[in-house]
Amino acid sequence: MKKTILILLLSLFGLQAFAKIHVATTTTDLAAVVKEVGQDKVDIFAIAKGTQDPHQIEAKPSYMMRLRSTDLVIAQGLELESAWIDPLIQGARNPKLTTKGGLFELASELEPIEIPKGNISRAEGDVHPGGNPHFQLDPIRLGKAALLIADKLSEFDPAQKEFFHKNAEKFQKHMEEKTKEWQARIKKTGVTEFVTYHKTFAYFCARFEMDCQLQLEPKPGIPPTASHLMTVIDQMKKRKIRIVLIENLYEDSVGNKIKADIPNAHIERVPVSVGGEPEITTNEQLIERIVKAIEKGAK
Amino acid sequence: MRILFILFCISISASAFAADASLKTPNISANTLFLYQNSNFHKENMDPANPDQNRNGFNVREAELQIYSDVDPYSRLSMLLSIHPELEGVGTKINEKWVLEPEELFVESISLPDVSLKLGKFKAFMGKHNMLHTHAYPFIQAPLASQALLGDEGLNDVGLSAAVLIPSSWFNELTLQALRGAGENTEFSSPSPSNGVGLAHWKNLLDLSDALTMEFGFSYAAGGNSLKGTTDLNGADLTFKWRPIVGGLYHSLIWSTEYLARNQTQAGVTNDEKASGVMSFIQFQFAERWAALYRYDNLKLENSFDAVNLPNGPSERNSIALAYMPSEFSSYKLEYNERHGGVPSASGADTEKTIFLQANFTIGSHPAHSY
Repeated sequence: MKKTILILLLSLFGLQAFAKIHVATTTTDLAAVVKEVGQDKVDIFAIAKGTQDPHQIEAKPSYMMRLRSTDLVIAQGLELESAWIDPLIQGARNPKLTTKGGLFELASELEPIEIPKGNISRAEGDVHPGGNPHFQLDPIRLGKAALLIADKLSEFDPAQKEFFHKNAEKFQKHMEEKTKEWQARIKKTGVTEFVTYHKTFAYFCARFEMDCQLQLEPKPGIPPTASHLMTVIDQMKKRKIRIVLIENLYEDSVGNKIKADIPNAHIERVPVSVGGEPEITTNEQLIERIVKAIEKGAK
Repeated sequence: MRILFILFCISISASAFAADASLKTPNISANTLFLYQNSNFHKENMDPANPDQNRNGFNVREAELQIYSDVDPYSRLSMLLSIHPELEGVGTKINEKWVLEPEELFVESISLPDVSLKLGKFKAFMGKHNMLHTHAYPFIQAPLASQALLGDEGLNDVGLSAAVLIPSSWFNELTLQALRGAGENTEFSSPSPSNGVGLAHWKNLLDLSDALTMEFGFSYAAGGNSLKGTTDLNGADLTFKWRPIVGGLYHSLIWSTEYLARNQTQAGVTNDEKASGVMSFIQFQFAERWAALYRYDNLKLENSFDAVNLPNGPSERNSIALAYMPSEFSSYKLEYNERHGGVPSASGADTEKTIFLQANFTIGSHPAHSY
């Protein structure tokens, strides 16, 4: 009898040892980083698809069912997902997520930029009081995020701490090396400024010493207006900006209007998340895609 | 009492704005609905003995103040106050007074596995539409069946609710509610407090694809009523929602259908009152900020216990609307309704034609609406 119980206990502990950590991420970009760090030790589910605007995901009950068996939710944070992540977690009725540590937000730990000063209100559009949450296009911050994720995963599976950190450090080192390569290539193009639809590229531009302060949106979250578009076109002409990168979450009819006014402008819809185009499955491929768009626009 | 209530609200608001958000102050939001309506039924009906609450012209339809926050690691408290004008006849005059009342006030569990418990005053889970706050209605007015069978304010009562997730490969939730049985609508023949109301709702939602979902549900409620008889409510709903994964900011479609039936008995009356109605609407978002809507709804009554306010026979309505949403915090809706049958106008007209223009504004930290 004792022997049978011992075998059963050992089997249970054995199963526990091989159990994967069930992680849900709010974006595909974070899912890709978690995959690099956790590899076969984690089961990953990304809520927002790479072609969806992470500000405006619908809190579908089917996501609640996925979160029901999840150990950890990793989010970009800084209110990027605030409209939908809380109702999803509440609807999942999973105590592991409602207790402290069940929701892990990264952006605030990664030296956020564009933190608004003074009194802010929604008259300024969809402002994020804690700063810009779109760090997914900065390879250096992605490397730091990997280390934070390794720390977090280690809390759930301490036996794999070394494995997680080794993977995170490898990913970080690779992203640092790629950053140097991308910096050199962008410098070679001579491009110092480009226009975007939303403030999605702020971290990318800061990392690669570029200026992308000119947006097609008059204010964050507010669709382009005719008068604002005229201002953008006027500024592009004055500052000799030729490249317009439109996040492929948005339609490109505005780009056509710019093209009509500035025929030599290079207007391209680009993915801004992993999975934004079918062949983009890693963070590296995503940033490579954007660097190539800049190189193409510079020709 | 009312003054205390106002003072309480002001004190909470003041403390929330004075303190830093990181100090765990409650989340506060306010929503206002401004409404213009012009109906051929409401022009002449200004009887002080029975003031027309849906008068023509510009009105503040309602303001809602919502406050919610986690109490501790186990529960969350939510309070939703409604502020709206009401007309009352004083002698030969009609005066406008402002009413402040709790629409919902409940505490719910946040850390129990698989179940969500709710205690307090809340909207009962009698179909999908009954769960909506006024500013979230797809059309200006509730469906005919909801208005007639659940009352203007819907089935909203004090009670206890348990929503259990049933293990399955799709979203499968059973909600059981025990209500006090004293709804807030005087015209609703609500079950009497002594007997209470038992309610069950079964909700299912399946992802047919990443872009398309199908939801279906069934509701049942029963209890003793104020006519010394019994009231049974049956409901069924079916909703398809489509939002493409690529270009989802610009296009979406909702097709929702809801059926509601009520059977009432009355002491000393042989024939049961039987009523039922169906509502089906389509909402098509054709641009980032624009949507077009169409609704058909009807109501059928037999052996009415209140033939003046709920006349026997069929009535039906067609509604079309155009919605413009400059941001997620404001929207405008232009709507036209045409109803045949039901309560006639003071002059005996049978067809009511109404045009509405509603403006909807939200400030503060408003929680997301249910999917």
